[in-house]
Amino acid sequence: MTRRGARTAGRRPQRAKDVLHGPAGTRGDAFRCVGCRLDVSVVAPGTAHRNHCPSCLVSLHVDRRVPGDRAAGCGGRMTALSLSVRADGEWMLIHHCLTCGELSANRIAGDDNALALIRLALRPLADAGIPARVLLAL
Amino acid sequence: MSHDNPQHRSAMSSLDTFTCVRCGLTVAASAPDGGRRNHCPSCLHSQHLVDHVEGGPSDCEGRMTPISIAVLRTGDWMVVHRCVRCDELTSNPVRGDDNQLILMRMAVRPLAQPPFPLEAFGDL
Repeated sequence: MTRRGARTAGRRPQRAKDVLHGPAGTRGDAFRCVGCRLDVSVVAPGTAHRNHCPSCLVSLHVDRRVPGDRAAGCGGRMTALSLSVRADGEWMLIHHCLTCGELSANRIAGDDNALALIRLALRPLADAGIPARVLLAL
Repeated sequence: MSHDNPQHRSAMSSLDTFTCVRCGLTVAASAPDGGRRNHCPSCLHSQHLVDHVEGGPSDCEGRMTPISIAVLRTGDWMVVHRCVRCDELTSNPVRGDDNQLILMRMAVRPLAQPPFPLEAFGDL
């Protein structure tokens, strides 16, 4: 596939993540999803920065700019809003904070729910209004 | 957010224009469907002039590229922009005269390069 070649072509490696997840400064290796209450291990195939539930794609607004900085004081629930594609073909999930409206982007992980991702990717095309009008106008 | 600062907003008229930072097109700041425009209708690029976290004007002024299409519950499309200088993300409503080829290209972009085979979804 072309994507495999693109991935190895001179990208900087992902930053190592050394954040403490646990409540009292203990290093946690799992978090519980605020959407579906699934216990999720932070070790994920394909990414070093898992920040969303692989089952329902819901995330929590705790980081500001750098993954793992824990600098955001919001703590709101973030739902998956849309999908974006990087130049090398990686899918990025755009999350939208339901409390403060902030947007953030994160790479999808290898074990993310494929059906949920496809539903998200098809959302712009599902509605009959705009896409039909757009295609007729082209 | 091209020229959407408070001074301009107070004196908003149908004659306001701004120049696109990418393609140089001079566009009217008010869209035909009544709303105020913040991205170029031709290339959909915008400029980072409003700070969305704090509100008020931003001192970044970087170019913002369109990266994806988001859909509201009402079915309206929003364009998600990313600032090339500071990586801030914003979402803005699509206007009636936006370039529909670019909109459609962004909407189908994930399906053109799926990270997993899509054949299995035919059986669901």
